[in-house]
Amino acid sequence: MCLAIPMQIRTIDGYIAIAYAKGIEREISLYLLQDRALAPGDFVLVHVGYAIQKVSTADAEASWNLYDEMQMLR
Amino acid sequence: MPGPHDHAKSWLTRIAALPRTGKVRILNVCGGHERTITHSGMRTALPDDIELIPGPGCPVCICPEEDIYDAIQLALNEDVMLVAFGDMLRVPVNVPKREPRSLEQAKAAGAGIQPIATPAAAAAIARAHPDRQVVFFAAGFETTMAPVAAMLAEGVPDNLSVLLSGRLTWPAVAMLLDSGEAAFDALVAPGHVATVMGADEWQFVPQQHGLPCAVAGFTPASLLAAFHSILGQLHRRQPALDNCYPESVTAGGNSLAKSVLARVMRVTDAKWRGIGMIPASGFTLQPAYSAHDARRRFISKTTAANNPAKEARKRIGEMPPGCDCAAVVLGKISPTQCALYGRACTPRDPVGPCMVSDEGACRIWWANGMRADATGRKPDIDAARA
Ligand code: SF4
Ligand code: SF4
Repeated sequence: MCLAIPMQIRTIDGYIAIAYAKGIEREISLYLLQDRALAPGDFVLVHVGYAIQKVSTADAEASWNLYDEMQMLR
Repeated sequence: MPGPHDHAKSWLTRIAALPRTGKVRILNVCGGHERTITHSGMRTALPDDIELIPGPGCPVCICPEEDIYDAIQLALNEDVMLVAFGDMLRVPVNVPKREPRSLEQAKAAGAGIQPIATPAAAAAIARAHPDRQVVFFAAGFETTMAPVAAMLAEGVPDNLSVLLSGRLTWPAVAMLLDSGEAAFDALVAPGHVATVMGADEWQFVPQQHGLPCAVAGFTPASLLAAFHSILGQLHRRQPALDNCYPESVTAGGNSLAKSVLARVMRVTDAKWRGIGMIPASGFTLQPAYSAHDARRRFISKTTAANNPAKEARKRIGEMPPGCDCAAVVLGKISPTQCALYGRACTPRDPVGPCMVSDEGACRIWWANGMRADATGRKPDIDAARA
């Protein structure tokens, strides 16, 4: 239920960001990372619409590949 | 750049090259981990003496039956709009046949129930309907409770209340280990819980119980790295806590998220479905937020004292008859050992919560083609368990 998925930040407006992953654009909250410097282009781990951690590009890609595979099965 | 599978292969080789220390039972406490393990066929790829056991890894499976019952009754009997994470909608409770036994059935019977994907949607719905009472039935582990706390900390309208059913993962493992009935030799700690709460929460596993422990992420490579670490710890007889998900997990976790959590919620004793009370394993709202507590706002009106029907309800808090979910979530039996698995109980027509949730062990095993044989046992896994 609480899997977190890496998304790439497109735009930031206060605590709200538009983030992108695998063809989906979504509004996410940066409230739980408000003490971190974040900029468009950064990857964050998103759980139930809230970014909980900043991650590297490589880690984001590894996770995306994994989720792609899992989706195929469902 | 090597792909995740190249890494996975090299980890498998490294694991195979380790000196064997005899049979090792490794418990995971995260449905996400179980999904990767089952989906990637890791059980067959690993040496025979390594047994991977799914544990209490899903907040849907262990959400108290009473809480779901309360949510259903609230939605049916009060003029409210009830919102919940979609996974919660199909979980069955124990009621007489003619009554709605899940939120989904209550919705079909006309109750105002809506699935949401984020706590932010609960606040948005309440804002959009200022004239209605909106109740957010919020179940989840620490990872999910931090966003729920964030939503409340940011400020929500008066017409929103929360029916909180949050749980902490480590106390369930501590309870298992303290009981002396733990059927495992090592632990893989949950990567996303640790992302928020920090890896150090799991220090008690090596320090107090002398068992190896490693935090893992959700790729096969990260899990295999954790198994490799655990086997090495066993071999060296030096149980420790290893962090095999450093991309996301730090020793202390997301300190801001932890402080938001602590500001909004406090830790309390709490019930786990089929398991019972576990000390200091649940979240409740801090006094400053109790005005948004749905239990205060609604449920106290329908407590057992003035609602004899509720008092008389059969099997309160239990799993459905015949369902072995309680043993499954404690890692005591594997899903295929439940007599109902794949027979009376399938994802289409689930009997127990472990077959409902995407992260329930029964559902994961079924979705990945694990079938019970004629005796209800899956030989390759249960042979090792016997
Ligand atoms: S990420 Fe958290 S909620 Fe999701 S399966 Fe793992 S432990 Fe459970
Ligand atoms: S197979 Fe169904 S009834 Fe049996 S333990 Fe799993 S969810 Fe419960």
